[in-house]
Amino acid sequence: MKIFFRKSIITYPLFFSLCFVLLFGCSNEEADTSDEDNTDGETTDISILTTAYTPEPPDESSPAWQALEEYTNTNLDITYVPSSNWDERFNVTLASGDLPSIMLADKTPSFINAVQDGAFWNLTDHLDEYENLSQMNDIVKNNISIEGEIYSIPRSRPLGRNAVTIREDWLENVGLDKPETIDEFYEVLKAFTEEDPDGDGEDNTTGMVVSEYEGPWDIMQTWFGVPNEWGEDENGELVPDFMTDEYREALDFFNKIYEEGLVNEDFAVMDPAKWHDAFVNGEAGVIVDVGDAANRNHKDMVKDDSSLEGSVGLFGAVEGPDGLYNLPTLGYSSMLAISKTSVKTEEELHEVLEFLDKINTEEGQNLVFNGVEGRHYEIEDGEYVPESDQNLVYEYEDLNQILPALPTERYHVEEESELTEQWNELKIKNEDIVVSNPAEPLVSEVYAQHGQQLDDIVNDARIKYIVGQIDEEGLDEAEALWKQSGGDDYIEEINTLYEENQN
Amino acid sequence: MANIEFEQELTFPVEKKKLTFKQKLRRDKWLYLLLIPGIIYFALFKYLPMWGILMAFQDYSPFLGFWASDWVGFTHFQNFFSNPDFFRLLRNTLILAVYDIIFFFPVPIILSLLINEVRMALFKRTVQTLVYIPHFMSWVIIASISYVFLTTSGGIINDIIAHFTGETVSFLSHPDWFRPMIIGQVIWKEVGWGTVIFLAALANVSSEQYEAAIVDGAGRFRRVWHVTLPALRSTIVILLILRLGNFLDQGFQQIYLMTNSLNREVADVFDTYVYFMGITQGAFSYSTAVGLFKAVVGIILIYGANWFAKKMGQEGLF
Repeated sequence: MKIFFRKSIITYPLFFSLCFVLLFGCSNEEADTSDEDNTDGETTDISILTTAYTPEPPDESSPAWQALEEYTNTNLDITYVPSSNWDERFNVTLASGDLPSIMLADKTPSFINAVQDGAFWNLTDHLDEYENLSQMNDIVKNNISIEGEIYSIPRSRPLGRNAVTIREDWLENVGLDKPETIDEFYEVLKAFTEEDPDGDGEDNTTGMVVSEYEGPWDIMQTWFGVPNEWGEDENGELVPDFMTDEYREALDFFNKIYEEGLVNEDFAVMDPAKWHDAFVNGEAGVIVDVGDAANRNHKDMVKDDSSLEGSVGLFGAVEGPDGLYNLPTLGYSSMLAISKTSVKTEEELHEVLEFLDKINTEEGQNLVFNGVEGRHYEIEDGEYVPESDQNLVYEYEDLNQILPALPTERYHVEEESELTEQWNELKIKNEDIVVSNPAEPLVSEVYAQHGQQLDDIVNDARIKYIVGQIDEEGLDEAEALWKQSGGDDYIEEINTLYEENQN
Repeated sequence: MANIEFEQELTFPVEKKKLTFKQKLRRDKWLYLLLIPGIIYFALFKYLPMWGILMAFQDYSPFLGFWASDWVGFTHFQNFFSNPDFFRLLRNTLILAVYDIIFFFPVPIILSLLINEVRMALFKRTVQTLVYIPHFMSWVIIASISYVFLTTSGGIINDIIAHFTGETVSFLSHPDWFRPMIIGQVIWKEVGWGTVIFLAALANVSSEQYEAAIVDGAGRFRRVWHVTLPALRSTIVILLILRLGNFLDQGFQQIYLMTNSLNREVADVFDTYVYFMGITQGAFSYSTAVGLFKAVVGIILIYGANWFAKKMGQEGLF
């Protein structure tokens, strides 16, 4: 046995194969650099990495894709990654050093790091030249910026997107109006739980459905006047939301509605992919989430039982002790960043920005959102009528993943139902009552390192308090642990950055 | 006899020495050729990536890449050991690991002893096949099954409990139930698969030994105790050593899927921590440092267990 493992015999082949590997690896890299700089032609080459939500994202053979290339005078190379693998793929792409011209990004520590290492163009001074890109909403601009500079184009979404979806027919059955204050909201939940709102004679309903996803609690605590992550105290210093008195007040309310059974008992372990089912199936009468959910749920309900037509309503928020507030969404869903590795010169940058600007025109938005007229939709008497064949829909559907939708959404939409009209009004009304987060543009190093743990401590304590696993003392302990785990440094850092940012 | 063997061993290498490396290479060239793919595989996929461990001593930034990132020495290790989370993670990981050895490890042995005692071949094979099946299910499915059975709103098991006691048990969310649930799931999923090796070892026990034991008047339990178990001893020791090498690996998927806000304090283990820090937070260097620490503990345990096994007169792994 021994003789077989003698040094020389094993090392030679190992050494040779290693050399082979190294040689192979190097030659590959060289080959990579050769095929750039093809941008001299008439059309601009633009490579894009973005997410896909359909099983079959479009490819170059799609007529919508080709029409878009023609319209923008570009040669597109879009790589689609299933949205569920996005985080990993984003990091791997960064590490490979081979970045596409336009890359979808979120404000994660890795993106911020890459920005600080100079991977992406600073767009702050460039945007004014472009008709559509320059019309970015100020709150959104604030939200996407990193240390006061803009490194990406947001994919805009309404800011006032959070809303409460409610069963209007149930309200009628229990003889109540849409709630306007927190007390009335409580009355509605109680009636929905105890007064048999569906009228089947059985005790089978709960007021509200919540899942493991913590969004609803964030939204509802804002009603009580809790700041959006950070709020100013009387000295103008920023304090985290959970250190305010309003927060404790909100938690007491949550605990009360849970103890009284007005919320589904197992919410803390419920799969967030399933919580809307409880609303659709008539097990719960209220859901606090983004308002677009109302329309989706309504459609699903009517599909099963057409008598439920018109049974779903919406409202933005209810009034708390200090006034009417709602939690905004970020105003964007991921951003499009332009890499310096693929886009080398300012001229090339200009071409890429021009492309991003141009798809925001009505014609551009129609192409990426509705496809090609005559193939994917028809305009009949001024009404938009989409083709329903799923294979045709796939030809354009994921093209909208590159759309900044600035300044607004201007693609064709189907005739509006009463609910969507209600929703569109609400979105605008919401914008007046949303509370913005003053610390959103600040980049904290402590948070980049310990953010996950810090958030977990606070969020877990909140859930435990709601279900009654801990009391006030437990909340104090969690707060102390938060401070000790880096929270104190975090507060200090944010306040320093905040001051700097204001000057 | 012994003398001759000794002489042969002495002359053997002397004879070989006459051949130079080149000659040997020429003589066995086809064998070496066959060896090359294997060597390339190990070099390319096992040894080359190992250099990535050096990331633990860097402040790695994906965009700058390995060569341009700053070196920071042991900073990440210091941060990790001084982090208040360290002891919680260590505690959770160790407790689960110990539970695993105490409660899971013996179960496949007991099950294979039971299967071994079955006489009817058809029944035996059917049982064997049936207990393998859960092994092929993914953790996602098992997590969903657990939810459907154990949830407090309409879960079958909780309905039964509520029927008799009037109360429900929050298996999924109470911290005290987390570890039993994890071990229970592991047993359900892996016990059948764990019997494969033991049953193979048991098949080698000669029936003469049993016959002799019967003649000596040994009952069933005596036969198991004095014949079957001793035959399994070396297999058990080797599997135990291997198990210790993975002592700190707690099946990331399973724990990740079963974690929620209410049980996180007992559910966070090194594996989930590495995932959260590395993939979701992008702290690559830091999580590499944590992973490296785990690997070092694993190596120490496996060598320690091997040394101990040899000390106790058992055959070790190496």
